[in-house]
Amino acid sequence: RVMPVRWSRYNPSYLEPEVKKESYQKPLEELTDEEREQMELKAVRPIKAAPPTLSSSVFSDPMISKFTNMMMKSGNKVLARNLMSQTLETIKRKQLEKYHKAPENEKETIECNPYVIFHQALKNCQPIIGLSNITKGGKTYQVPVPLTDNRKRFLAMKWLITECRENKHRRTMMPEKLSQELLLAFNNEGPVIKKKHVLHKMAEANRAYAHFRWW
Amino acid sequence: SLRLICTTTAVQRKNVGASGPEKYTEAFIKKQIEEFNLGKRHLANMMGEDPETFTQEDIDRAIAYLFPSGLFDKQARPMMKHPTEIFPEQRKIQWGEDGRPFHFLFYTGKQSYYSLMHETYEKFLNVQKHQDQLIAKDLPLQKEKRNLAGSRWLTKIELEEMLLEKLSDDDYSRFIQLLEKLVALPCADIAENYIQKFSKEVSVQLQKVVIEPLQYDEQGVAFSTGEGKRKTARATAVVYDNGTGKITVNGIDILHYFPVLQDREQLLFPFQFLGRIGKHDMVCTVSGGGRSAQAGAIRLASAKALRSFVTEKEVEFMRQAGLLTVDPRVKERKKPGQEGPRRKFTWKKR
Repeated sequence: RVMPVRWSRYNPSYLEPEVKKESYQKPLEELTDEEREQMELKAVRPIKAAPPTLSSSVFSDPMISKFTNMMMKSGNKVLARNLMSQTLETIKRKQLEKYHKAPENEKETIECNPYVIFHQALKNCQPIIGLSNITKGGKTYQVPVPLTDNRKRFLAMKWLITECRENKHRRTMMPEKLSQELLLAFNNEGPVIKKKHVLHKMAEANRAYAHFRWW
Repeated sequence: SLRLICTTTAVQRKNVGASGPEKYTEAFIKKQIEEFNLGKRHLANMMGEDPETFTQEDIDRAIAYLFPSGLFDKQARPMMKHPTEIFPEQRKIQWGEDGRPFHFLFYTGKQSYYSLMHETYEKFLNVQKHQDQLIAKDLPLQKEKRNLAGSRWLTKIELEEMLLEKLSDDDYSRFIQLLEKLVALPCADIAENYIQKFSKEVSVQLQKVVIEPLQYDEQGVAFSTGEGKRKTARATAVVYDNGTGKITVNGIDILHYFPVLQDREQLLFPFQFLGRIGKHDMVCTVSGGGRSAQAGAIRLASAKALRSFVTEKEVEFMRQAGLLTVDPRVKERKKPGQEGPRRKFTWKKR
């Protein structure tokens, strides 16, 4: 029998930690039945230690941590985190510039919060349907396939990062490139959105092979 | 199934009794028990104690005194225990003198397992019949929900010990699925006695740790200490009350000791979670490990110290946030024949 290679130092009975303060301040009556069961289960089972990237402060965001980890090269988390914070700063500066130059009636439509822009840009980049290679009768077909949430988020982040690393001028700094890409994605423009649309069109074109999928 | 690293000792014990037919006869075991009892009385005499009230703990202490051993493994040291603990239970011969087996399922190979499955399914059908009768009479079905969180099913090893037969993972999971189906029925209270044979109670609260009371120093300021570790780093933290939120590590302020924002965030995590950022002072010492490991160790130490300042409910919240568990992840060892823990040598065709 083959043993799977991915194992964890924790016993399988350990549950994931819940870091957000708000979830512990809810009074007992507001919980649904499922939540009550979850609470009872949590009271009995041991809980894993919170990882160093997770914290209950307002500044820690799981999406941003995931993005920072994907940008990281050879374990240099310090550099990746600095780049991320510089990116958010550049986005804020660009948006503030636009805000101060814009006329009065348009001032409310300009979004200045870099976190909101980041989340919205990621959401706009996420593809809805993906393609997968299925070999049937010797030929490999590109079959349209539904994607899980995790896979969508991963693809959006990966496209953004590869776009910034490869298709830009060598001398531009990463925060500049990333902030540019994020702002374009926020407005549904830019090469990443184009890539998403190309993928959707390919999936639409290969609709005939959709029945090859067996899951 | 995943390969378990962090397990309880119950999972690691090998079940010798289920591996094959009889290795020692009943007469042999009886003789061993007699010899053990005689030996117990002799030992009590030797130690100058009363043979009638000589318990197993006294025996262990006496043996450890008479035969001191520096061996690391406790099982390898000399021990004197009751024969039923040393020679595990085993199956008796399953067939009579004419060679005909006693049990009707003998030729399936796993007679106890299949007979157990048949029994459980019989109970299941009985419960369903009872349910149908209640529906026919238009009586309400009993809906008292069984507390799922307070009990767990027997593990595979425990079930093997009960049946005295080897089970495969598949068999075990099928049995557990059948039990879950039985429990999910509304009228499962009828089979409650039967189900209790296969479930064990889990301690309701995992708060087995004793919270130390606050200590007071010369000026009357309350303080408490805590110890933490992460990878190779070891830290001790002393948290003082009525403070301004100053944190000192090895005599150096945290801004200088931890230039990275992530580490400082980790240090402040327990305080921020409890909402007590500006109220406590902390002095810590830390050694070993790297930058992130030291931060994690101090976080654990400060969380443990803060337990004394805070209500029990908040301690439970801290535990559920993962602040009070020791992180078991350590560097994986390098294996022979490979370059690192996972990386293999470059494959060369010739």
